Amino acid sequence: MAVTPTAALVQTLNGIQFGFILFMIASGLTVILGILDVLNLAHGELFSIGAYTAIGVFGFIIGIVGPPGGGVVGTAVFVLAVLAAVLVTAAILLPVGTLFEAVFLRQIYDRDQVYQLVLTFALLLILLDVKKVIWGDSSIRTDAVYSAINTIPTSELVGLNYPTYNVFVILVGSVVVVGLFWFFERTKTGRIIRATAIDREMATAIGVSTDRVFTLVFALGAFLAGFAGAMAVPPTSATLEMGTNPLVLSFVVIVIGGLGSLRGAFVGALLVGVIRSWMITLYPPGEIAAPFAIMALILLVKPEGLFGTWGETA
Amino acid sequence: MPERVDRDGTPAYRFLGVEVTRREAAFLVIGVVFLFVIPDIAGLSDSLQLSVIHQGLLFGFAAVGLNLLLRHTKLTSFGHAAFFGTGAYATAVLARYAGVQSVGLLLLGAIAAATVMAAIIGVLSLRHTGLYFALLTLAFGQLLYAIALGQSALGGSDGLPIRPGPANQPLLFGTAFSPDVYQILTYYLTVVVILIGLFVMYRITQSPFRNALDAIGQERTRARFIGLPVRRYVWAAFVISGIYGGVAGGLYAVVRQYVRPEGTLFFLRSGDILFMAILGGFRTLAGPLIGGVVLVFLQDVGQDVTQYYDFLTGVVLLILVYGFPRGIVGSLRSGGIVNTRLNELRREPSVLSSWGRTAVQSIEQKVAESLTSLRIILFGVD
Amino acid sequence: MEQTTTDHDTGGIGRRQLLSAVGGSAVAAALAGCSTLLSDGETADQGGQSGGEISDEPIQAGLLTFTRGAPGVLGIQAQRGAELAVQRINEAGGVGGQREIELDVVNEGSNPLDSYNQFIEEGKEVTFGPISSGTHSQIAPEVEKNEIINVSTDGTVTTLYEETVPDPTYSFRFQNYDIMEVVTMAREAVERIGADNISTVAGVNPSYSFGEDEMRVFTQAIQKLTDAEIVYEGFPELGASDMSNHITSINNEEPDVTFSSLWGGDVTTFVRQANANDMFENTTVFGTTLYSAAGDVPGDALAGTDIYSGSRNYYWGLPALGNWQPGRELFDAATQQEGVTVPTAHYMSGYGAVTAWATATEKAIDLLGTYPSQEQIAQVLEGHGFFTPAGYHNIAEDHQGASNSFAGQMVYDDDLGAARLDDVNTYAATETAPPPGVTGSDWLDSWSA
Repeated sequence: MAVTPTAALVQTLNGIQFGFILFMIASGLTVILGILDVLNLAHGELFSIGAYTAIGVFGFIIGIVGPPGGGVVGTAVFVLAVLAAVLVTAAILLPVGTLFEAVFLRQIYDRDQVYQLVLTFALLLILLDVKKVIWGDSSIRTDAVYSAINTIPTSELVGLNYPTYNVFVILVGSVVVVGLFWFFERTKTGRIIRATAIDREMATAIGVSTDRVFTLVFALGAFLAGFAGAMAVPPTSATLEMGTNPLVLSFVVIVIGGLGSLRGAFVGALLVGVIRSWMITLYPPGEIAAPFAIMALILLVKPEGLFGTWGETA
Repeated sequence: MPERVDRDGTPAYRFLGVEVTRREAAFLVIGVVFLFVIPDIAGLSDSLQLSVIHQGLLFGFAAVGLNLLLRHTKLTSFGHAAFFGTGAYATAVLARYAGVQSVGLLLLGAIAAATVMAAIIGVLSLRHTGLYFALLTLAFGQLLYAIALGQSALGGSDGLPIRPGPANQPLLFGTAFSPDVYQILTYYLTVVVILIGLFVMYRITQSPFRNALDAIGQERTRARFIGLPVRRYVWAAFVISGIYGGVAGGLYAVVRQYVRPEGTLFFLRSGDILFMAILGGFRTLAGPLIGGVVLVFLQDVGQDVTQYYDFLTGVVLLILVYGFPRGIVGSLRSGGIVNTRLNELRREPSVLSSWGRTAVQSIEQKVAESLTSLRIILFGVD
Repeated sequence: MEQTTTDHDTGGIGRRQLLSAVGGSAVAAALAGCSTLLSDGETADQGGQSGGEISDEPIQAGLLTFTRGAPGVLGIQAQRGAELAVQRINEAGGVGGQREIELDVVNEGSNPLDSYNQFIEEGKEVTFGPISSGTHSQIAPEVEKNEIINVSTDGTVTTLYEETVPDPTYSFRFQNYDIMEVVTMAREAVERIGADNISTVAGVNPSYSFGEDEMRVFTQAIQKLTDAEIVYEGFPELGASDMSNHITSINNEEPDVTFSSLWGGDVTTFVRQANANDMFENTTVFGTTLYSAAGDVPGDALAGTDIYSGSRNYYWGLPALGNWQPGRELFDAATQQEGVTVPTAHYMSGYGAVTAWATATEKAIDLLGTYPSQEQIAQVLEGHGFFTPAGYHNIAEDHQGASNSFAGQMVYDDDLGAARLDDVNTYAATETAPPPGVTGSDWLDSWSA
């Protein structure tokens, strides 16, 4: 099958866009894993709660601002409103994450790892029905955001046919990536967290409260999942089952990158995003199996994943 | 015939290498009799379905296999549906494409396929331990799921029937039975297989092999230093546990006469098998089996009773994690938490109110703690 | 249950005898049954002629359908349709003028076989459903074993009566099956664009058996009707959040026709993202079940699209509501039910399955003067003709329902607050289905290219 250069470019961009969403989900999962040593099976539910919440928040904030007005100012205001809505959504998940860690997880750090799996799976099941109670059984959507942002010309300027919303996701995703690395490399809190990851006992010895670090990290993970949910939902709809696929794909991403490695999660997410994207063009039946096949291959070559585990570098 | 032996001062019986006290023997007999009369009990009520209990036993049997890894080598497999599904699909493929009709041959095929699959996945995933191992087994399971979904020869998402030959069903003792009889007979076949499987597992846990696995589970490096072929032993345990999954999957296919990817290979089935082991009590032999029946029953009844049955299951698992970490069987046996608490209650009934107080206090404390953390996260340290 | 066993023992009537008795009056008998369904109860007394021998114990019936989650979009339509049919029958005095129907609805969910078995253990006299083709393959052999009639609402897999249950007695299917709806859309594509203008074809279908089967049949059919070449086949997962990869692939190929069997929420995701990627400048979409998203897909997503959708054997707007009173009444009743924005083809699946069974039973009562056995009802259902507000239906000798099918351009209707079909074409069953006894692929093979 002949693929035109334009289609090749667009297909790669599609993959990168998907990769950024995947990274936002997987980064929270991998940071929690790296520091708390907990595999949070309920992470996909936090993502979907983000998506559901975002639909309400979008409606509310855009209701105040109104649809994108004419001109640059009106458009900029609309984009800012969308960004604000995403941030508010993610912020709503902060207390959720905090409560989770403090109420449920903190009791069982000393126990066999298998109990963490049971616990987070129990939370997954409970959240599934909590969503059902709050938002009902059928899928819900936010209509305005996707089509409104797509009316802003971007890719057309360079003669490409590419939805502006996808450009928006890539831009915002890049900011999140830079922000996260900056947080862990440059800020004091970030360094404390990394120190805790490297040596929990030593960190305690120099006066770090591991309890607080753990809570903070879990809340951060929930924040990222909520952020991802809010960014992912406008082109599609929020459904009860939407958390499962991203969760499983995030597993693949963090195994490829190395458990707990933020850098690994970033590379892994883009890799999975782009390869999957090309697979859909060149060999469509491989769509579902592709990520797992990539993972198996990489592990045969590099058993510890691409970047090993979290430690000296983020 | 059973011979009398003396175990730590209490009289015990030994038969075929199984050593039990009188009390344990009584439980054993009751358990076996109970298994055999279940079809009659299930007939008494509409809400008790033999097929549901049967399914619980089969998944529980897979959990018995998984438990060999979990209990002794401390390896958490999150992909055991891979073997259950392999067994089930092997049966379906043999019935459909090779025209195999005999239940015995179909089950042998399931065992062979599961053995090969476990051997391969074992080699690839046992390089890792801990969560890495869990995630790897999960990924391999999902890979098989994706393959089953994608191959039209395997029926895709619609799955495959197990209806070979002119009788349109697998044959037991070369005979085609009517549906009701077939259901009961395959149930008794399952019971027999389970009893044999439990017996074999018991013998394994009485053997030096088990001690080696325990040593590996406690400290791998030390086990290697004392000369244990760690990789090979763990691999052997992995394959054995996979075979249990394969047998259960094969029986599942024969009983239900239909396999679909979602019911057999999806990663949530792997989760179910794992949670059954813990629910029933993974430090016990028969616990996973009971966990299987309870979990499947809970899900089935839950669906009839409420649309929020996931919530129900979740809460049961939460109670399990915090209240009864040793599972149903582990909590009920002598010295378990239920007996201890009951004894306390018998001695001093007022202890009840102090339990309540403690519970309320700890919840209050947790909420206060998390509110403080939240304040610190949002507004910084003041 | 009790009546059926006694009748069974006395043998009832032979098949040939019954057919000769029905003879040319089949349509009249069907209309009588239908009038019971549609009337306000005036004709109910006629059905009660043989009242002395029919108990007034309610008929226990079960419906297996998706009541929640993504496939609930289809399943709840079927449920509401079945409920309305039951309500109308009961208001008219029940089957045979005496026996009301009590309908028990259970979610198809992950273990439909257990749910079906539970129905049988509870002694249901008839079961309806399921929606999913996988479930149907699973329960159809059980239906034959249990010898309790099942009239499936959908479960439209082609191989069901070709391979899974080659010689059914108690299993019937009301809705047009896969091959019929796909051939409808292949003919529709030729009708709208012209065979000479179709040289490239792509497909975007859900990645499970249903989607793969539909694409395979469409490929076979369109290549007989045109010289088209298949240039792309994509299979997004059910509930996929991102279909831009598939859309980009289509934009790359610019096919004349894009075939799709997406349904429910996936339609909205696909259409919305396709629109954002300007896909409709490059292709025209023909889909079998796109209209199942009628109440879900928003106006802005459909604006500027180029989509034709089939609607299986029922489209509410044909004949026009003003001209066809039963259609008008059904539409009004349906839109007042919870969860129905407009009734789709799946609504008729539920309504029609119940109606097929009830009219056949009624016909058997008229013929026998007593309440018929399962076997007797099954005999009447073979070749049974009857009316619903969607028109005339026929359950063929091979147990497969065969009705007219509909297709038209899918546009948004602001007044309706939902999508509708414009400029609808009707295809007779003889144009879309193989004659009884011929398998779908043999039939397609026999078309001259």
